[in-house]
Amino acid sequence: MSANIEIAGVSKIYDGGVRAVDAIAMDIRPGEFFSLLGPSGCGKTTTLRMIAGFDSPSAGEIRLDGADITHVPAHKRDMAMVFQNYALFPHRTVAENVAFGLRMRKIDKATIATKVKAALAMVELSGMEDRKPAQLSGGQQQRVALARAIVISPRVLLCDEPLGALDKKLRQQMQFELKQLQKALGLTLVFVTHDQEEALAMSDRIAVMNAGRVEQIGTPVEIYDQPRTCFVADFIGDTNIFRGQRVTMDHGIGIAAGNGLLLALPDNIAAAGSEVLSVALRPEKIAVAPADPVEARSKGMSTRGTVESTNFLGGAVLYRLVLDSGHRVLVQQPNSGAPLHPPGQAVALGWRPADLVILED
Amino acid sequence: MPATSAPRVNSLALLILPSALLFALFFFLPIGLMAVMSVLTGNPVVMPNVGFTTKHYARMGNDSYYLEVIWTTIRIGLWTTLAALVIGYPLAHWMARIRSRTGHALLLMAVLAPMLTGIVVRTFAWMTLLSDKGVINQILTSFGLITKPLQLMYNETGIIIGLVHIYVPFMVLTLTGVIGRIDERLEQAAENLGASPWRAFMEVTLPLSLPGILAGSLLVFALAISAYVTPILLGGFQIMTLPILIYQQISANFNVGFAAALGMVLLAISLILVIAYNHMLGLVSGQRGLQ
Repeated sequence: MSANIEIAGVSKIYDGGVRAVDAIAMDIRPGEFFSLLGPSGCGKTTTLRMIAGFDSPSAGEIRLDGADITHVPAHKRDMAMVFQNYALFPHRTVAENVAFGLRMRKIDKATIATKVKAALAMVELSGMEDRKPAQLSGGQQQRVALARAIVISPRVLLCDEPLGALDKKLRQQMQFELKQLQKALGLTLVFVTHDQEEALAMSDRIAVMNAGRVEQIGTPVEIYDQPRTCFVADFIGDTNIFRGQRVTMDHGIGIAAGNGLLLALPDNIAAAGSEVLSVALRPEKIAVAPADPVEARSKGMSTRGTVESTNFLGGAVLYRLVLDSGHRVLVQQPNSGAPLHPPGQAVALGWRPADLVILED
Repeated sequence: MPATSAPRVNSLALLILPSALLFALFFFLPIGLMAVMSVLTGNPVVMPNVGFTTKHYARMGNDSYYLEVIWTTIRIGLWTTLAALVIGYPLAHWMARIRSRTGHALLLMAVLAPMLTGIVVRTFAWMTLLSDKGVINQILTSFGLITKPLQLMYNETGIIIGLVHIYVPFMVLTLTGVIGRIDERLEQAAENLGASPWRAFMEVTLPLSLPGILAGSLLVFALAISAYVTPILLGGFQIMTLPILIYQQISANFNVGFAAALGMVLLAISLILVIAYNHMLGLVSGQRGLQ
C-alpha cells in the first residue's frame, strides 16, 4: 500500500529569514523511487524532514494520498526513515531495534517475532538478532536501519543519504539491493543524495534542487540529456556550456560564442525569445580526429583545437582541449583501441547540432 | 603492553605529580588518620598508652539513637536526591536541547546564579520564607487557606527544601552534559517509527541518560548526607544528622575516637554508593565496552 505524496508550494523559512526551501512543488507517485538531488544546503534534507514531520513548513501543503498531513505529528504519519547515521538505538539489540516500530503499533509478540525474523532474513542479517549496533560493521548497521524501516510496511520510505558512509564497493552493492527491495515491495521511496551518479543509477525520477528551489524534475535520462538550466547541466555529469548572441546562419539559427566560434542550433528550435543564449554540449557527444583537413571536412568537423591534456580512464579517454577561438572544452571518447591524441596535437572536432541543449538561465 | 620493554615514564606524566602529592597529603593521609583514630582508645598525641578498640563502633551498633541518626541522614539524602532529580531533569533536558544560544545562556545563568551566594546566606533566606511567621505562612494565612501556620522549618521538610535548592545545580549540570550527547535523531527515529514524543523519551532518551542520572544522584546524595550548615539552621538542632553529631562529639564531648568512627560510617555509605554506581553503570552500558 504505497502512497502518493504531493508537495504544494512548500517553503521553509528559518528565524532570521533564511529560505531553506522556497515554494517547491512536486508530485511523488505511488511505488516510485524519487530522488532529491543537489549540493549541500540546497534544501533537500529539509524537504525530507518536512515530509517526515520533523520540521513544519512555513507555507504550503504536504498531502499523503490526498489527505493534508502538513500539521500531522511525525509519529502519526506512518512513514519510515533511514537516517544518514542510521540512528540505531545503541542500548537495544538488533532484534529490539527492528521490533521497535511494531511494538509502537501494539502488535502481539508472536507476530512481531515472525516479522522481525523475516525482515532480518530479507537484509541477510539472520543470526545477528542479539548483537548491539556497536558490534556491527557500517554495512550491517545500514541493513538494520533498513530492516527497522521496512518491517512496519510504511506508506512511504524516506532515506537521507543512507549510503553516504559506506565505501564504494559496498555502496554499489547496497544501491542495487535497495533498488531491488523497493521494486519488490512496491514502496514509494524518497531518497536524498548529493551523489548524482547514485541518483541517476537508482531513481525513477529525480528532482534537482538548488538554493531551496527545484531546478528540474524528470527521469534520469531527461535530466542528463535535456537539462533545463545551467545549474542542472553543470551539476549532473560533465558538460561544456557555451554562451553567446543569437545569430541567423545559412541554415537556421546559431550562437556566436565569441572569437569567431559559431554553433549551429538544431532546426527544430524555434527562434527562442532571448537574444543571449546558453547551450550545453556533453563531452561524449563530441567527436575528435587528427586535424587532417580533407578527412575532417568530409565528416563535417569544422572546429579546430589543440589537445591540452589526455586522461586515460580505462573504458574511456578524457581530453581537455583548447579551441582556436580560445574556448576550453571537455571531450570524452570511448576507448575504441585507436591511438590516443597526445597533448599538443592539433585536432578537429565535430558534433551534431541536435546534441546542443538550450538552457534557461 | 609488550612485556619486554622496561616501563618508560612519559615526561607528561610528571605533570600529575603536584595533584598526586596534594591528594596524598590532604586527602589520603587525613582519612587514614581518621580510620586509625576510630579504632584507638584515645588520642596517641596526648595520651601515653593507647590501645586498639572496637568500642566506638560497638557503641553505634548498641545504641538505637545512633542508628536512628544514621538512618535520618540517609533518609534526608535520599529525599534530597529524588527531589533534585525530579526538578533537575526537565531543566537539564531543556538546557541540552534548546536551540537559541541566548536561551541557553539565560538558563545556565539561572542555574548557576544561586551558587554565587554563600550557603549560609541562602539558608537564612529560606528561614525568612519558611518560618512560622515567614513569607509563605503569612501569605497562606492572609488568603484564609490555613488557620495555624504550617510547620515548614525545624523538621526534615525544611532541611530537604534547603538542601535541594543548594544541590539542584549539581544535578542539572551533570545531566545536561549526558543528555546533550544523546543524538536527537534517535528521538526522531523513535517518533518516526510511531512513538509519541513521551514514549520516545521513555524508550530512548531516559535509558540513554541513565549514566547521568546515576552520576548526578551520587553527587547530590554524597553532598546532602555530609551537609552541615543547612541541617543545623533549618533543622534548628531538632533534627540530628551525622555531620552535626560528629561536630558535637569533637567540639562538646572531645570524643575524637567516636567522631572518627562516625566519620568512617559516613565515608562508608558514600563508598558503597560509588561501588554500586560503577556496578550499575557496567550493567547499563556494559555492551558498549565490547566494540
